[in-house]
Amino acid sequence: MFKGFKLTRKLENTLMLVFTLIFLGYISMSPDMNLESLKGVLIIGITVGIIYGLVAVGISLIYTGLDVVNFSHGEFFMLGAFTGLTVYNFLIDGELIYAIFPDAYGWVGYVIGLFFAFVIMGLFGVLIERVFLRPLTKKGGGYTVAGMGIIICGFGLSVVLLNLAYLIWNPTAHPFNADLGLPINIGGVTLPMTYLWMLVTGFTVAGALYFFLNKTKMGLGVRAVAHSKVISNLVGINVPLYISIIFGIACALAGLAGTLVGPTYQVVVYMGYIILLKAFASAVVGGFGSLPGAIVGGFTVGLFETSCAFFISGSHKDAYAFLLMIVVLLIKPTGFFGVQVKMKA
Amino acid sequence: MLKIKDLVSGYGSVQILNGANMKVDNQSIVALLGGNGTGKSTILKACSGIIRTWKGSINFNGEDIQNLPPHNIVEKGLVQVTQGKDVFPAMTVLENLRLGGFTLKSKQTLKDNIEKVFNYFPRLNERKSQLAATLSGGELQMLCIGRGLMSNPKMIMLDEPSAALAPQIVLDIFKNINKIRKDGLTVLVVEQNVRMALLLADYGYVIKDGVINVEGESKKLMYDESVKDSYLGGGGTTANV
Repeated sequence: MFKGFKLTRKLENTLMLVFTLIFLGYISMSPDMNLESLKGVLIIGITVGIIYGLVAVGISLIYTGLDVVNFSHGEFFMLGAFTGLTVYNFLIDGELIYAIFPDAYGWVGYVIGLFFAFVIMGLFGVLIERVFLRPLTKKGGGYTVAGMGIIICGFGLSVVLLNLAYLIWNPTAHPFNADLGLPINIGGVTLPMTYLWMLVTGFTVAGALYFFLNKTKMGLGVRAVAHSKVISNLVGINVPLYISIIFGIACALAGLAGTLVGPTYQVVVYMGYIILLKAFASAVVGGFGSLPGAIVGGFTVGLFETSCAFFISGSHKDAYAFLLMIVVLLIKPTGFFGVQVKMKA
Repeated sequence: MLKIKDLVSGYGSVQILNGANMKVDNQSIVALLGGNGTGKSTILKACSGIIRTWKGSINFNGEDIQNLPPHNIVEKGLVQVTQGKDVFPAMTVLENLRLGGFTLKSKQTLKDNIEKVFNYFPRLNERKSQLAATLSGGELQMLCIGRGLMSNPKMIMLDEPSAALAPQIVLDIFKNINKIRKDGLTVLVVEQNVRMALLLADYGYVIKDGVINVEGESKKLMYDESVKDSYLGGGGTTANV
């Protein structure tokens, strides 16, 4: 009966719309539904979404540039959170910061923490790529051929980094008491300052990344390397250097996201694992390998997850992202922005 | 300008070139001919550093360049121009050209070179803000050659510029290659279209089974029987074996 039945683009979109309408209809029947809660869910959803988006952009960037999925990406997120926390605590425990910024020591310390998380994770990513991933490509054929080995290496790296963090910071949860000021009120929703920081920093960084990729020479090189390493070689791009840059940027974004999330929950050694899977789901929903898709996918997953957790049941919060991923894979396998899928490991 | 001596190379563990010798003089057009799978493109890839040279030497402008990283070879002024399908389809024509000039330091030179390329190929100027994916086959080949010229090379190596193009467009592109040579560049052109290539070139090499089989001035090569044999990929030589 279903022989010759093909999902056309139009049908895919219609089915997605039907699914969205059913979902919206279902949550609108919830007893908690009112304008106040809707506004809250919207803002929290977008905030969580931009974090998923930042990590997903890193995964997509590495996927386009190195032809592999980096399964240790969540660990960079976790290490970034610890870096930010350590730098922040170091500054707050000292006296210098109170002397220079007596009124604004909290957010100045936080910004410095964010900066260090970004830079140190970027450099650490470059180091990891050079020392652990690059040698796997030495047999020839580059990253595409070495793909499966690198994926396994990613899993192993994840375990190693996790245990390294375990040794340094021990397995207890560390509170990240960033002193950012009192919660503010946006359109009737009381929002802690940490969420505002996530929103503003997230959007700024996403915008900066867009500018970098589309308007600068280095960004042009990154896009060229992502498309084809051979042609990039022939136009005179230093491809090994650019692969390191791509990996570094992706890890820096994950580290930044870690420090942004830190103050809202606690900083734990195990925080990287679930964010990796959710960011992966975001990348799939948005279309794997597409950078705008990763951000949009992040928003979609964030909003879906938050509204499900609020209107349906909060106890299965972590499952909703994957439910959405399965639905999108069934109805629209390319994701929102996915193009023709390339053959990659 | 370019001297290749006893070049041995290949892919993985498969040896393709078995000691090829070639010489390209300054400001000349040299054609490298041969059938499928004889190693024409392999020579180019070894010269531009995409694959490793196993043995032998490649000398460009008095310097040994074998096994240098590809971007260093581009900086030295030796650029390989691939077939028209090897553009960046999701980028505009202008972005593709800018990538060609990636090794340039100054923005002014970049601008001048874009103008220069538009002088050779006015069609690209009309299409400059279109995505490369929307160009026709001939325009893609023009874009590839233009991109190769962007980095101020001393010598360009063209990989089958006539592949899958209409004769009229091939003629147009070959005229432009001649013009590029007159402006002071050295050209090595790899071709399957033997007649066209020999009409264009001053000197020709015929490669067979990874070694240079026949060489000579293109006027002589045009009437050489063994060229036909080589070009047919050994199919015609069974009687001699």
